[in-house]
Order: sequence, then structure tokens, then C-alpha cells
Amino acid sequence: MSRFLFPKWSNGILPLIALTGAVLPIYVLYFVAYGFSPKTLEVGYQPVQPVPYSHALHVGELGIDCRYCHNTVEEAAHAAVPPTQTCMNCHALIKPESPKLEPVQASSQSGLPIDWIRVHHVADYAYFNHAAHVNRGVGCVSCHGRIDEMEVVYQAKPMSMGWCLDCHRNPEPNLRPVSEITNMSWGKVVGAEAEAEIQEQRLQVLNQYHISPSENCSTCHR
Amino acid sequence: MENGVDDQQVTNQDGSTDDSGSPDVGSLSPSLRGRELWRSLEDLAQTDEFQEFTAREFQEGAQNLEGDDRRHFMKIMGASFALAGLGSVACRRLPETHISPFAQRPADRTPGVPVEYATCCEIGGVGIPVLAKSFDGRPINIRGNLKHPESLTEACGAMANSTVLSLYDPDRLRKITNKGEASDWNTFSNWLGERCTAESDGAGLAILTGATSGPSMDRMRERMKARFPKATWTQWEAVNDDNSIAATKAIFGAPMVVRPDLSKAEVIVSLDSDFLCTAPNAENMSFQWAELRRLSGKASEATLSRVYQFEAMLSVTGIAADERIPVRSSDVPSVAALLLKRLGGGNLDTDKIEKQLAASTNRSITDKDGKAVTLTDFDMLEKAASDLDEYRGRCVVLAGESQPPAVHAAAALMNARLGNVGKTVSYSPVEPRPSRVESLTALKKALDSGAVKTLLIFDANPAYDAPADLDFAQSMSKAQEVAYIGTHANETSTAGNVVWSVPGTHYLESWGDARAYDGTISIVQPLIYPLVDSSQGGRSALQILAQMTGEEKLDGLSIVRETAANRHGSDQYAFERRWRVVLSQGFEKDTQTPMQNATANETAVMNLMKTALRESGAAGEIELVIYQDGRVYDGRFTNNGWMQELPDPVSKLTWDNALYMGPELAEAKGVQNGDVVSVRAGNASVDAPVMVIPGWAAGSCALALGYGRNAVAGRIADGAGVNVYPLRTTGSMDLVKKVSIEPKNETYPLAHTQDHGVYGALDKKLVEDGIQERLPSIVREGSLEMYREDPAFNGGLAHIAHSLSLWEEGNLAGAKFRWAMSVDLSTCTGCSACVTACQSENNIPIVGKDQVLRGREMHWLRIDRYFKGGTAARPENIVAQPVTCQQCENAPCEQVCPVAATVHDKDGLNVMVYNRCIGTRYCSNNCPYKVRRFNWFDYQRRDPVREQEGVFAVQSDYYTSDGPSEWRRMQFNPDVTVRSRGVMEKCSFCTQRITAARIEYKNKWAQAGGDKTSPTWHIPDGAIKPACQEACSTGAIVFGDLNDPNSAVSKLHADKRSYDLLGELNTKPRLKYLTRITNPSADRNVFIKGGHGHGDHGHGHGHGHGHDDHDHGHDGHDHDHDHDHDHDHDHDHAALRSIGSRKEAQS
Repeated sequence: MSRFLFPKWSNGILPLIALTGAVLPIYVLYFVAYGFSPKTLEVGYQPVQPVPYSHALHVGELGIDCRYCHNTVEEAAHAAVPPTQTCMNCHALIKPESPKLEPVQASSQSGLPIDWIRVHHVADYAYFNHAAHVNRGVGCVSCHGRIDEMEVVYQAKPMSMGWCLDCHRNPEPNLRPVSEITNMSWGKVVGAEAEAEIQEQRLQVLNQYHISPSENCSTCHR
Repeated sequence: MENGVDDQQVTNQDGSTDDSGSPDVGSLSPSLRGRELWRSLEDLAQTDEFQEFTAREFQEGAQNLEGDDRRHFMKIMGASFALAGLGSVACRRLPETHISPFAQRPADRTPGVPVEYATCCEIGGVGIPVLAKSFDGRPINIRGNLKHPESLTEACGAMANSTVLSLYDPDRLRKITNKGEASDWNTFSNWLGERCTAESDGAGLAILTGATSGPSMDRMRERMKARFPKATWTQWEAVNDDNSIAATKAIFGAPMVVRPDLSKAEVIVSLDSDFLCTAPNAENMSFQWAELRRLSGKASEATLSRVYQFEAMLSVTGIAADERIPVRSSDVPSVAALLLKRLGGGNLDTDKIEKQLAASTNRSITDKDGKAVTLTDFDMLEKAASDLDEYRGRCVVLAGESQPPAVHAAAALMNARLGNVGKTVSYSPVEPRPSRVESLTALKKALDSGAVKTLLIFDANPAYDAPADLDFAQSMSKAQEVAYIGTHANETSTAGNVVWSVPGTHYLESWGDARAYDGTISIVQPLIYPLVDSSQGGRSALQILAQMTGEEKLDGLSIVRETAANRHGSDQYAFERRWRVVLSQGFEKDTQTPMQNATANETAVMNLMKTALRESGAAGEIELVIYQDGRVYDGRFTNNGWMQELPDPVSKLTWDNALYMGPELAEAKGVQNGDVVSVRAGNASVDAPVMVIPGWAAGSCALALGYGRNAVAGRIADGAGVNVYPLRTTGSMDLVKKVSIEPKNETYPLAHTQDHGVYGALDKKLVEDGIQERLPSIVREGSLEMYREDPAFNGGLAHIAHSLSLWEEGNLAGAKFRWAMSVDLSTCTGCSACVTACQSENNIPIVGKDQVLRGREMHWLRIDRYFKGGTAARPENIVAQPVTCQQCENAPCEQVCPVAATVHDKDGLNVMVYNRCIGTRYCSNNCPYKVRRFNWFDYQRRDPVREQEGVFAVQSDYYTSDGPSEWRRMQFNPDVTVRSRGVMEKCSFCTQRITAARIEYKNKWAQAGGDKTSPTWHIPDGAIKPACQEACSTGAIVFGDLNDPNSAVSKLHADKRSYDLLGELNTKPRLKYLTRITNPSADRNVFIKGGHGHGDHGHGHGHGHGHDDHDHGHDGHDHDHDHDHDHDHDHDHAALRSIGSRKEAQS
């Protein structure tokens, strides 16, 4: 009866365990930090809306200004989702029979709201005010991405606190003349000279509106 | 420790003897002898319990879980924690939420932007003009309508403020019932139709409502009279103005409303009138009173009005008064007679009261020669009379509504003799009507005779609040059918023969109109559809009456419009235009009742007086005062959690009423706080717990109306307090002249907050020696005379010697704003309206009696009340001090937070970041002001009234069942985070309002072109008002920006009266207090020993001179106190030293 001996290859297990012990926490940390970050969880959220409304068509192709529908954005904290009446301003005449517009027609007749699904979610303990941003040269595209290219709207930016602070600490890259606020492609230029021109305009906005965004907790949390 | 307590008492005794001569304390035990500043009798006696309060952050047990301690909690939760770890792996995105826009958005409506509508809240037949803030269609906040001619301030009082909570009360009547069975509106409507057929002349039909003042209701009454001539209509209010109406009828020949103008009254003699808190027009009276209480201009020429208050109870007015003379309520007619006699004779027998007052020591003072002088109550009355005489045409005598007609008559006569009529007091006529008691008695007789077949009751509760001798519940059962229409189920709606119980409407849900106190017609405009389904009722009384009388249009708007149109003749176009203005402003201008200068008939006054004097109580008898406490009114707000949890301004009691009495009576009966006694008057008796209040008139006790409702009144009202109505009869509506008090061998827990948040130190020895000596610098107070001599007598702006910091202080330089607040203790009456306003604005939860008992109340703003000097029975002075977060620039809370959840923002506010807070409570432990509040539970989801079973019980039928929880939630202010369990919170200076204003003004500037139009943007002073400031009728609270040297708050901070609370701790608070200056008619002992040591060397002039001093300017300024100015920085230390040295000298 021979004694049991660990085979030779088993000598490698110990360093392997040590290695795993060293790497695993890093892996887990990374896994959690990345996997739970809004970048992973929130960006790309694209719920199916009750009406297959295409921003790509209305904004991108037809060139309707954002503020035609989201008309409260310059005065209020909310950029209100438009009432059914806004749709009907055009669609009473344009494609009134379209099956895609059925929920809109139904809402218009019944007076009951269309239940849109919220895409961009700000936590209850955080306060955000649209008017404060758009009146000082922060464009729609900075937070919402290229809406004019979205067939179905999705969340383009993480909307995390860190992401907010990136801009509050260095607002200049996201500034533009107030007149260009809804222009989705403003600033996309080629050439050093044109870029310098854009840069100049950003700086001008910064100075004109004395932009020094607050990093106070009480600005957003109250 | 017990030794320590004893020592303390000995010292006190010595102290008072040494300091204030030999007060005649009569039979008082040594333990009731005075100390300089004390919050409660527990404080005065330095009981162990009180010591506990001072030494601890929260009281004993506050940090224990009910039934389970922390260790047990960890044990049982171990498995859960492990599971929680697993559970979080299955992390998902947040649940799907929806956005539901309008199909058609109303014009001028911006989602998410609150809109204010002018409406009117009618309480007891007096319309309170208010603005209701609507957020996306939900009314969330109430404040006064400043545009209204009757509103002098934006304050509307705590009760009106709390009505928004009543709207969303989950206990509201929601289902229509017929004999207890479910029914619907149509069935009720048919039933009503059968009773109002075309043939009917109304015989057998009776209607009972509360007092109504609106013209639409008047129109309905006319219509009823025309349509059903034999029907009767009764208006009943348990809290009413029968006394003043009866008096004016007798002496002027026509009923009148008394309309004082206190802004011109330099001397006010109040005969038991609580004109600063519970009077129906208290907000305006407070505002006017405060106009003569602010000190501005040259200090040496400063003037103040002077208030003499004769009262049995300690009221808010009593706290604010310069001279308070406690007399039994039944002796007030005699006092009135005595005053009347001094002011021009009259053959009235006043010997008894003269002797009584002369035998009663008001206070003992040390005059300049160090001699003890004793002032009696009679001296005070003499001073009141001579002041009145001196200030003819600039003074006023006020009579309390609870006093018999004779006192009102005497006040009117005195005002006439003093030439005040047309100057400080006017009268406006009212429609003659039977008194409320007469009306109800008539209805009772009709019921008893069987003449009434159908009784309709609109929002009245006679089964509960009718005088006991009418036995109204019994009479009601003699009607064949009774229908009740109202917002809440109550004792009446559940009485035996009530056939119909129909949900009514709240004023924020229905159209109507009412007359304000000045008679202005004000429109009641709904902000929300009735929450009750229309198949279940949800109609207003106006609508139902319109239906009964066969009006064509039955919607509320048409009814109110028609009434208005009738007033305007036929010009439809002009009316349309005017109507729009009326709606937007909330009132119809130029509809005040005209003021008249009525002259009192002397013979009538004398006759009333003689009767009253004959009926005045015999000496030695114990009287019971029955009053409304300004919170639950006659019982209609008993189910309102804000009103229940609002500490009574005087007693600081929450969730109950109690038999309030003075220390002498308590001692005589051998009872103390919480002992249950049986109060017997005739055959009726009520068992009530005792609460001892210093300063209460000997031989008098009081119980507030509105408590002791039965369970049907709702879950909040259930079990709160005792019902005093059984002792209230038609002959004793306000006062039972003789009661007997028998102690029972029971105790009852009373949740009062008077010792919560006491300043203290960790070491008990320090508590005794340190805090007592610091108190005079916490609550600074002095007389006008001292202020005139030296406006900085309080040492307020003095440097504090040790301002070195242990760490590097935050750099707040270069901030655009420096938000700050100032609280003027001279004009703060302690009425507590600010507390409710704060609760409403900041989503502060109701925690329940059980939690208040554990010291866990959540109010961000508390009002401390201090008694000053004197004895327990007769404190010399009483001061109210609102304390909220001081927004320290060098905040102790911030230094200890391990997660930086409380930090400074650039504008100097100490902010609380809820989502960072992990609930260590270190901050609260380190806060010397004790203003931080911890969410021990998820209070917003927890039933505030029931004892919770189990450690984590948040199951509550109050908040989490389907319907009601939705209702309750609708009141929340969406601009303020609703805090959950485990989070610390505190006053934020209403940071949401600051941010809103900042965005508004910055946007305006940016939209105009930014730098191109104006180099910078600013917020005008006064544009931001925190909720407390808005609710303050006297303007004691001022908020603003210190960077603006012209802002109101900058000026107040620079005022010499301004001082920091606990400034010696180097916290650098942004909230400064203004020293309270009163205008006593004779000197008081001075307890502020700082600065010039007034108490030490006395002052050169003043003692016994009373009013004369006002005139003799400052030529006689021979004090050598100038050199003291050099030592200004020593003030606070001098304060400590001088008292310390006095003690040393004694020992």
C-alpha cells in the first residue's frame, strides 16, 4: 500500500491560487465599477414608444426645430413632452389616416394623454433645469446626442453625476451661441482655421454669460 | 447626582433672594422658586429627566429600536444582509416610467412651473384670503393673498396653512352611504328631490350649516325662503362671536364688529384678548402690533408701544406683552370695572378686586439704592390706567372674545372716553342675526317638538360640539331623517338616525365666496377637481342648495358668477371684464363694510357691568376656561397631522390637550404633569391629564376645545386629547365658574417638546454651572430704557475673545451671495405659524405621538420658550425664540461627517446632501444648536398614529394602501426631496426657493443679452422669502444677501441689537438674533450682566418713573459707562464673570 503523493503538476496550484487571489479582487472591482456604471446600465436604453415617432424624420429630414414641440425648454425646468394637439397641428391634414398615428388620433379625440415611456431619467434627489442651460449656450445635442439621427430615441449619454461634473468643471467644449442651441451639427467643422473660429465663439459665450458653473451640492441636491 | 440637584436648588434659592429682594412666594415650596432663565418646571427644578435632555443629543431611548436593541437587530438581520448582497447582483435599470402630456395643454400652462391662484379659506364664517400654489394641478401650499385689502401680510396663520393637508386627508369621507349601505349620488339626488317637490312649502325641512359669510350662500338662503317659506335655516359655530355681538347690540343698538387699528395704538390694554394668535384677524393685528415694536432710527429716541395683558391663561399675547397681569377669567369683568372707574368714574363696586390685586405681588425689584421694592398687580393696573390716560387717542382697550358682553361694553366705553374711536378703533355694522346659541336652541326646540322631519346638515358637527345642556344628539334623533353632507365623517354623520352620509367638498375643490374680516367679498376658487368621485357626491353645499331651490345651472362657477352678476346690474360687458379681475385677484374691490364711529350708551354699559359684577366668581373658587387653541379650532382640524404635531405655542404640547393650570393650583391638588384628574362641573365631569404652566392665574385652569373626538373622526384624531364639550353649556360657553378637581390615581403620557433641544454640555457639572450662565447670552432681552441708554447693552456685536480655530476654516470669500437671516425677538410672538409653513414647504413628515415622546419630532424649526426670573407661579418675563439651522460659516457638523454629506456651498449655506448621508448622526451630536433631525424610520410611509409592531414595520394603512397614499402624496412639494429612513435632515434656508430665484433672474439677464446689456445680474432684495418668513405675520424673520449692503438683512445684522447664538463657540452663524426689547411700565430685574453691568450698578434713572422717562430725553446721561465701551469685546465674558462672581460672593 503506497502512500498518496500529490502529482508533480500540483505544485503549480499554489502560485495559481496566489495569482487568482491577487487578480480576482481587481477583476471584481472592475466588473462592479464598469457593470454598474450608468455608462453600462443607462446608455443605449431605447424603449419602444406607443407611437413610432421618428425624430430622424421630423428633425433630421424635415428640419423642425426642437422648440416647436418642446416649447417650454427656455422658460421651465422641464422640456415638456408636447401635448397631442401639437401633433395634430400638422397631422390633422398630413396622413391623418396613417395607422401609425392611431394612438395620436385616439388621444386627440378622447382627450386622454398618450403614455410616452421616459427615456432620460434623473434621480429624484437630483434637480435639473433645462432653462438654466439652454439660455446660456448649452445645446440640446450636448446631453441628448444626435436626436436628429435617431429613428427611435435612446439615451446617448450616461447622465451620471460624474458626467454632469465633467461639464460643470470645464464647460467650454459644450458651449455655443444661444442662437445655435438646437442646431445638432453646429461645431462639426473641418480644418484648423474653422475649428479655431468655433473655439473663439465658445469662448465668447463663456464671457458673455459669465459662465462659471456651480459645483455646489445644493445646486442639484436639495 | 442627587446631591448636585440639591445644591443647585439651594443656590437658586439664595440667588433669587439675593437678586430680587424677597419675593412673596407664599405657600410655594422652595423647589418652585425662581432661577434666571428656565424653559420648564423640570428645568427650574433641574430634574434628572431634564438633565438627561441637556446632556444628550437625543433623549434616552431615541436611538434604540422599539423592542429590539442594535445587537439583536444585527443578529436577526445577518441573513438578510447576506441575501441583500446576492440580490444586488440581479441589478436592473430603474423601472419603466411614463410621461403623460396633456392632449390639449391649457393656455399659459407650463408643465412643472407652479402657478398660484387666489382663493379664500373660510374658517368659522370669516374668509381668509389666500394664494394656493398649484403644481401641475395639485395644490401644495397656502399663503396669504397680499393684494387683498384685508391682508396686510403674506401670512395666513397655521390653520389656514394646514388646510391643504386636510384636502388630501386619506380619512376623508369617500363613499356615499344610505343607512350605512353603499349608495350613489343619483339615489340621493332623487331622495332630495322628493323632499323638495313643487308642492312643498318647506314645512318639516330644516337646514343646519356652519357660519357662512358669502353672498352666494346668502342668495341661496333667500331662494330657500322664497321657495320653502316654512323651512328653517340654522347656522351654528361652536367658536363664535356671540359675546361681542351681544355687547355691541346692547350698547350701540346694532350689532357691530370691532375693528382696531393697532398700528396707531401706543398703549394697548387687553382684557383677556389673544389678539396676536387665536383671534380671527390675528395676522393683521400682529402685523399692526409689530409696526410699533420695531426699533429703528436713533436709539436714544426709540419708542415702543406698550401692551398690558390681563388674562387667566398664558396666551401668545401674554408672552408678547410688556406687562402681564394674571387674573382669573371671572375676575376680568371686575378689572374692566376698575379700569373704567379710573377713566371717568361710574358707580361700580370694585372693592373686592382692588383688595385682591393689591394683595398680589407682580414682581419685586431692587431699586437704585439696592432697596427691595414690591410692585403689586394693583400698581400695574394703576399704571395701565395712567398710561391710557396719557395716551388718549393713541391707545386702545381690547376685550377677548371669550369674555362676557359686559367686558366688551366696558372696553367700548373706555375707548370712547379715551377718544380712540375713529383713531385706533372703529366699528363696522353686521347683519342683525340671532346668536349662534339662540339659533341652535331654536332648532333643538323645533326638533323636540317633532316639527322637523328632514334635517340637512352641511359640514357641521352639532352632535359633538353643541352645548352639553342642549343634548343635541338626542334631539336629532327625533327628526325622521337626517342627511349629512361634509368632507369628513364625524360624530354627527354617524349618529343613529342619519340616513344619508354624503361626501362634500373642500374649499380647494369647489366654487364659492366668502367675506373677509373687513367684509370684502372674496372668491373661493377651486384648484382641483373634487377628489371624491362624482357618483359618490363631491358636490358643494352651494350646489346642493341650488339644486334644492330649482336653480338652472348647478355647477359652482355659474352659481357664484350669477351672484356676482346680480350685484352688477345689467351691463354684461362691464361685468365680464370685472369678473376676470375679481377671479385673478381673488376679491371684489370696494366691498368692505364701511367703518363707523359708534357711540356707546353709558347706561347700557353700566347695566351690563353691574350684572357681570354680581355674577363674578367668588374668591377661592376654581374656574375652568374653555378655549380654542388655534390649532384644531372647534375640532375641525383634529384629524390634521400638522396641527396635531405642532407644539402648542405656550405649553409645547403635541397630540393632546391637557388641563393647564398654574403651579399653585397643581400644588394644592398635589398633582403634576401627566397626572389624570377628574374635572367636575355640576353633574358633568371630564377626566383630563394635568399640565402645569408657569404664570397661569391662580385658581384658574383651562381645557382646549376640539379634542377627544371619537374614532370615526379619523385615524389622526382618534385618541387625541379629551373632550371638554360635556362641560360646556349654553350658560358656560367660555368659562365654567366653579369646577372641582379630583386627582385620580392614573397618569397619562404627554408628548410635549418644551425640553427638547436644550443646550447643554456633556458633563453634568458643566450643565449646572455653565449653561445656566450662558443662557442670558442665548436669550438676550432688556428694556427700552436700557436700549436707549446704550443700544449695544446686549454685547451683541462684541468681539469674542477666543476666535481661533482648531482647523483651517473654509474660505467663503468671493461668493456672489452671502445668504443670511435675522430673527427679531422683539416682534416674534412665538405663534408657531412658521413651523407649519416650513413643514408644508419642505415635506417634513408627521411622526406621531409615540415618536414625539421619544424626542424624534422632525420639525426643522422649533420655537424655544424661556421663562425669565420671578417664580414658577409668576415668571417675570417670557421669551419665545425660534431656532433653526444657524447656517454656521464654521459649522461644527461639517467637521465630523465622515462622508462629506454636509458641506458648505459657495454662498455660505451649510447644505445637506441626502443621497450621500449614511446616517452616522455624528453631525447631530456635534451641533450645539440641536437643530438636526434624523429619520429614524421611513416616516413618509409610516402610520403616524399607531404603535408599530416589529422592527421594520412600515406597513401602514395610512399611507401605503392604494387610494389614500396617492392622496397624501399629492401634497408633496416636488422641489424638495422626500427623505427616507437613515438620513439626517435640517433647515436649508429653503434652498429650493433660492435656486428658483437664481435661475429666474439669471435667465432674464441672459435672455436680454447677458453681458451686453448689463455687466452682471442680481436678485433684488426681498425676492426670496423662505417659507417661515412668508408665514411670519410680524415680519420678525428677514432673509437676504449680506453682500448687498442695502439689503434688509445686512442692516439688521449691523444693528447693535444683533447677536450670535452661542457665538463664543466660533461657529459664525449666518442667522443672527435681535435682542428682545420690551417696554415694561416699571423696571424689571436685569439679568444681562454683561457690558455695563446694569444689574450691578443699577441705572441712574427709571425706577418707578414708568412712562415719564419717555419724555425726558438724554440730558440726564450721567453714567460713567463710556469707558466700558473700550471693553466691548469682553461683553460675553463679562456676562459670565459677573454672574460667576455673584455666586462666589454668596458662597
